[in-house]
Amino acid sequence: MSGRRHNTHFQRMLVAYDGSSQSEKAVELAFSLAECIDSTVLVFAVARPPEPATSVELGAVLDDAREHYEEGFKKIREKARAHNLEVKTDIAVGHPGEQIIHRAELEGIDLIILGRRGRSMISRMMLGSASERVLRYAHCPVMVVH
Amino acid sequence: MQNVWVLASLWVGLALIATLLAVWFKISTALTEIVVGTVAQLIISAFAVQGDLGAKSEWITFLAGTGAIVLTFLAGAELDPVIFRAKWKESTIVGLVGFVGPFLGCTAVAHYVLHWTTRSSWLAGVALSTTSVAVVYAVMLELGFNVTDFGKAILAACFVNDLGTVIALGLIFSPFTIRTVIFIVVSVALFVVLPFLTPRFFRKYGGRVSELEAKYLLFILFAMGGLAVWSGSEAVLPAYVIGMVLAGTVGKDHILIRRLRTLTFGLLTPFYFIRAGAFVSVPALAAAPLVFVALFFGKMVSKVIGLFPTVKAFKYEREEGLYFTLMMSTGLTFGTISALFGLNHGIIDQAQYSHLVATVIGSAVIPTMIANAWFLPRHLLHKSGEEKPVSQAVTLSAERGTP
Repeated sequence: MSGRRHNTHFQRMLVAYDGSSQSEKAVELAFSLAECIDSTVLVFAVARPPEPATSVELGAVLDDAREHYEEGFKKIREKARAHNLEVKTDIAVGHPGEQIIHRAELEGIDLIILGRRGRSMISRMMLGSASERVLRYAHCPVMVVH
Repeated sequence: MQNVWVLASLWVGLALIATLLAVWFKISTALTEIVVGTVAQLIISAFAVQGDLGAKSEWITFLAGTGAIVLTFLAGAELDPVIFRAKWKESTIVGLVGFVGPFLGCTAVAHYVLHWTTRSSWLAGVALSTTSVAVVYAVMLELGFNVTDFGKAILAACFVNDLGTVIALGLIFSPFTIRTVIFIVVSVALFVVLPFLTPRFFRKYGGRVSELEAKYLLFILFAMGGLAVWSGSEAVLPAYVIGMVLAGTVGKDHILIRRLRTLTFGLLTPFYFIRAGAFVSVPALAAAPLVFVALFFGKMVSKVIGLFPTVKAFKYEREEGLYFTLMMSTGLTFGTISALFGLNHGIIDQAQYSHLVATVIGSAVIPTMIANAWFLPRHLLHKSGEEKPVSQAVTLSAERGTP
């Protein structure tokens, strides 16, 4: 691990991943940070069920989300291997903001990195912004990538 | 509208709009399809002199009916028989109470408060007695309860609750004749035989391009649906139970289930839910908004009264979030199927149908809206009940690569 600095602040990082270009940027940034300061990275995706959930649609949405994220995770793991980084991937179900905050606490994460999605005003009112919620409630520093 | 293809393009166009709305707002397609159906019918009634959406056309009725049958079958097939066998006692009691409470409570509210006829009131009770398996399951996944004994028992209870709804719908409104006896005997025989016959048949002839499995299942569902209607019952009753008895075999065939979902979502359910929405009368809703309020609170109160002591008796008092969801959520599928059954058979009129569908939607949507409006991560609520301080935030531009 030559050229890497040991740090005491950001030993464990969580990157929120949803397959968007912003989340790809967040992953890239996390990798470059992890390379510099020798941290572990958890790439974390959240499948959001439609509201209100209906029985057959819920199963379909979750299956599709798992497939979609696993495809993205494959590429991320390959990239991590190439950079010699320790990377974990996982998928949860629920509200993205809530799940990110909860997982960060459970895993003792020191830094959350996420991309900011350019949602419309109506969409933000209906769904709430995951990044705003994470900023508001997270127990650790949060980095939002534009 | 006489031209079938023009009418088909109109309906599929509406389904497309509903799907886009569902994608944009991350809400369920079933909900947007009902709303789009209602709005489309309202607009057409307002601006066209003699036009309507053609919701009573035979071919639309057939597609919508097939959608309801296949959707109900798939819902039944999601049951986990292993969990149910392990937790059958708690699940049956909680499920039955979850059904009986709102069934009797909403029937009483409809009859004594709203002065609906006896049959209309029973129908209201049936339509509002459901519990959404999907809403409960989604909450369990979020909270991680899906792997706990408590979660598994509650999920199995939701299936029992919905089974109560479907049986009540199938039997209360049909006259008990020799046809009913034949229907029950044939159904029971088939429910016993199918779990043995179906996997063997699929192993021998399945896995071909000709989609033998889908044809086999549709044949059984249509045949039993036909027998149910012949006996004066409802086609979704056998479909749900067939789904449940095949859950351990067909339900585990992921590829087959995905193919059926494609058929259902791509073609069938849009017709079902848009049609259900098209019969909703907005003027009737606006004329008597208190009917919605009475039915909504009737459902909530009767669910709470029934389930609270029952769930507590099983020492599940700490998992409030889940059983509040269980108490409040109504299944869009079974709620609308029951209401539509009542409308089609003249048990309720269009205004009563509109209020029932509005209540079904309301009890599915309002808890979600409340949860989103007063958002605080659930696990933090359990800890302190107070908002945590705003975290240190760093905003960074990836293009510049500097903080």
